[in-house]
Amino acid sequence: MIEPVPLTILFSTSGPYAALGREALDGALMALAEVNSSDRHHFTLVPEICDPAGQTESYAPLLDRSLRRSGARHAVGGITSWSRKEMIPTIERHQALLWYGCPYEGFEANDRVVYLGACPNQHIVPLLAYALPRHGARGGLVGSNYIWGWETNRIGRELLADHGGQAAVERYLPLGDTDVQRLIDEIAAKRPDFILNTLIGPSSYAFFAAYARLAAADPAFAPARRPVLSCNLTECELPEIGPAAFGHLSTAPYFDSLPGADNAAFRQRIAARFGPERKGSAFFLGAWLGVHLLAEAMREAGTDDPDAVLRVVTSRRFPTPLGPLAIDHRTNHAILRPHLARVAEGGRFEIIESAARPIPPDPYLAEYAAQAPAAATPRGQRSNLRVVR
Amino acid sequence: MTRPFRTPNFRGWRALVLHKPGPVTEALLRQFGRLGMQGQVAWPDIPAGSAAEVLFFDADLGHDGQFPWPPGGAPMPLIALIGSEAPGRVEWALTHCPQAHLLKPLGSAGVYSALVIASHAHAAQSRLEQAVASLRSRLSRRPAVLQAVLELMRREGIETSEAAYARLRRLAMASQRSIEDTADDLLRPDGRRRA
Repeated sequence: MIEPVPLTILFSTSGPYAALGREALDGALMALAEVNSSDRHHFTLVPEICDPAGQTESYAPLLDRSLRRSGARHAVGGITSWSRKEMIPTIERHQALLWYGCPYEGFEANDRVVYLGACPNQHIVPLLAYALPRHGARGGLVGSNYIWGWETNRIGRELLADHGGQAAVERYLPLGDTDVQRLIDEIAAKRPDFILNTLIGPSSYAFFAAYARLAAADPAFAPARRPVLSCNLTECELPEIGPAAFGHLSTAPYFDSLPGADNAAFRQRIAARFGPERKGSAFFLGAWLGVHLLAEAMREAGTDDPDAVLRVVTSRRFPTPLGPLAIDHRTNHAILRPHLARVAEGGRFEIIESAARPIPPDPYLAEYAAQAPAAATPRGQRSNLRVVR
Repeated sequence: MTRPFRTPNFRGWRALVLHKPGPVTEALLRQFGRLGMQGQVAWPDIPAGSAAEVLFFDADLGHDGQFPWPPGGAPMPLIALIGSEAPGRVEWALTHCPQAHLLKPLGSAGVYSALVIASHAHAAQSRLEQAVASLRSRLSRRPAVLQAVLELMRREGIETSEAAYARLRRLAMASQRSIEDTADDLLRPDGRRRA
């Protein structure tokens, strides 16, 4: 007998970052269709799809209503860290599990969340390790005015300092704001060695367009000299940005252009469902992974009980378009291999460097400080204190 | 130049948890693992030879006899684990001067910020205590400074106490010692510096 299992899917497919939400929803629904059409599974996933429209305060009530009404014990969703932090108390109250598929700023490891996107030691640390020696350590930091921008740029600032540099510019725009001229003027005046971009959605598109105009007027801002580096720029936004993105860099655990048979098969399935022009992206894959890993773990556990599912999902590797993927049992974060790519003409990513192997998640950057140069890791607070002689 | 802000890091820290083993200690140990820390649970007594950079203690069932120091005398940051908010228990916990607290039951978060706040407060408190001790010592040595001023007026024929004090200050600055140490030297029968 095929048992129906409810699943809440919650992405903002309208509002200020709708393009990312639609991309993630597509990924989740493709995985759902694959699960439901496969005879590997003794259940069929019945989705309830919610659209909080990018309104932070709508996430928790929508999630709560959906979990109550459908009895779902799993939710796949959330793009921004704001939305994730809004949903966590509801997830905890229901003893449910949230499958979150986006890159985020770290300093969190919730027992009720499976983190499938990259955390800082898997995105900004390798990204700047590549860029600092090549472009210089006087960076310009621009971001959307919320926790992702603040925290990612704060880590960026520390990495700059570790390389003897500093932030030449640091500016934040409200979510959805496209008025980037003051920011561009400041960059033109201060001439940072590169730009670390943690803007999201339309703010990011407007910034790329204005930066391209700056580069056209002053070749010192050409991408090869002063690139824009992003940890969240993916295929789904390249058509919006157009040629203004060419030559700039992004890091992600997944790019549509990744080589290998696993990804080739994945791309074929995307083309079959959405047409030959459609590309995969880290946002698409993150949501796809959420549904896919949930189904695989449920199949093995024989139940949708979140604790049983979590035990399975953190105990072995799963075949995915990224190759065999494991979830670290200490942190519930995916062990991911970061890739660095350049936007090539035609709007695709050209991979220029990949980590030698998947990198275990370190959401609190405990290992990073341990590996940093001695001068960069003050341990002054630590002392050898004996409690009882 | 201002030192750039560093992300607080607790890798290698040893945390001692003075709490009955159970969900609370399990949640703590899980969070320690993610922060690169080592945790040791002890109840009701702290075993001999224990060492730690931070101590978490149970505010609900704890008592003075469990600590190897008098209330308020802990040599490391303390974090109180509070379940019951009964005023008597909170008051007892306060006598040990914890720099931060966590409410039970513990969720997946809280330990990191409690560590940041407690270690910051402990360091600030230690600096303050050192400053107060130094001021206290200088205060207790005021009679010697007064005597040295009088001695300088007598020995060098200085007419006013202000001028004699200024002379004493210059002597101290020239020898890069405190006014109190310089006064002690002046008052020694042979007038020589203390070794």
